[in-house]
Amino acid sequence: MLCLNHTDTPPVSISEAACVPYVSMEGTEHTSQSSTAETDSAPRMTPQVSTSIKLGQEGFKKVCRSEEDSPSPFPGLPSGVLEMRVKEGSKIRNLMGFAMARMQGDKGASGTEGSARGLRQVVFSGSGRAVTKTITCAEIMKRKVGSLHQLTKLRYKTVKEVWENSEGGASEMTVHRSVPSISILLSKDPLDPTEPGYQPPEALSALWEEREGFNSSQSAACKRPPGPFRCCPPLLY
Amino acid sequence: MMMSEPRSPGVPPAVHPDTLSSTVEMDPVEYTLRKRLPRKLPKRRNDVYVNMKTDFRAQLARCQKLLEGGGHREICVHGLGLAINRAINIALQLQASSQGALQLATNTSTVELVDDLEPEDPDETGEPMTRTRNNSAIHIKVFYPDPQ
Repeated sequence: MLCLNHTDTPPVSISEAACVPYVSMEGTEHTSQSSTAETDSAPRMTPQVSTSIKLGQEGFKKVCRSEEDSPSPFPGLPSGVLEMRVKEGSKIRNLMGFAMARMQGDKGASGTEGSARGLRQVVFSGSGRAVTKTITCAEIMKRKVGSLHQLTKLRYKTVKEVWENSEGGASEMTVHRSVPSISILLSKDPLDPTEPGYQPPEALSALWEEREGFNSSQSAACKRPPGPFRCCPPLLY
Repeated sequence: MMMSEPRSPGVPPAVHPDTLSSTVEMDPVEYTLRKRLPRKLPKRRNDVYVNMKTDFRAQLARCQKLLEGGGHREICVHGLGLAINRAINIALQLQASSQGALQLATNTSTVELVDDLEPEDPDETGEPMTRTRNNSAIHIKVFYPDPQ
């Protein structure tokens, strides 16, 4: 039976090139946006966020970080499809500028090329902290270019990080991390509707029944009666 | 326009706007940012909304219980904004612990959020405003596929 991993993020396997003192686990809180680190009772599984903190505290610096390429999750996809790899530091403005130009076609391109006026399909993929940004890019594109068919796939991606000790180059650690990753295919051509993860263009009202009563139900959304100036404290989902 | 950080009601801002130096470009009126709840959510028995406040393990166990004990063939895991990552993690771990019996179907959407801006200045030189912004949401259906 597979034992459930109780941390917010999947386990990290560390291979040590040299002898590095094993730091005992603490319930450290990661200050950045990502999830809070939770302690795990199993001795071998280290919460991956607190791993970064401990390596940073030990004087390690991340030397390089490489993603391991896995096969495309979309079967039968033509190879000429534009793939937008969204990273954590990517600017949405730059990503969308490039993708929109490709999808809507270069009207001013030279006539002799005869290439297709704009691409039919585009894939947005991102992993780890870039997942939310990936979804946002896809949503923006769906809004600007209407009636796009969407296919979304989730899976784990393995990322290999190499940490080096900044004092002496002797010790080095390789960290294998599996991070959740998302790939969103947007296509002007219809896709297979029976495929899990398929989303037809603009068919979201089935999920949200109350569309019309939005404005009137705003005050009803606060569970406590509003005071003279203050409404109920914000509850974030 | 500058947005002040969300504060609990009744706490005055730390710095009075008038004492700021002229080199900083700031609004004369500071606003308190208050986020409104997202629109009222329809909730079936097998809908699970993931948030960043509740313990991850508890949310995972809740989904586990719905699938196994509750007799639901499918559950729907929703996540908004920062909780998207957590929702994806929950769904992927549910799938991993089921030894491949479960399948995932993912949909994404945009949710409109409204912020209430109230002027901090007791003179009320500004008026309460609202600002709308968009946020991404994910809906993951975790289900046992129909036997063929």
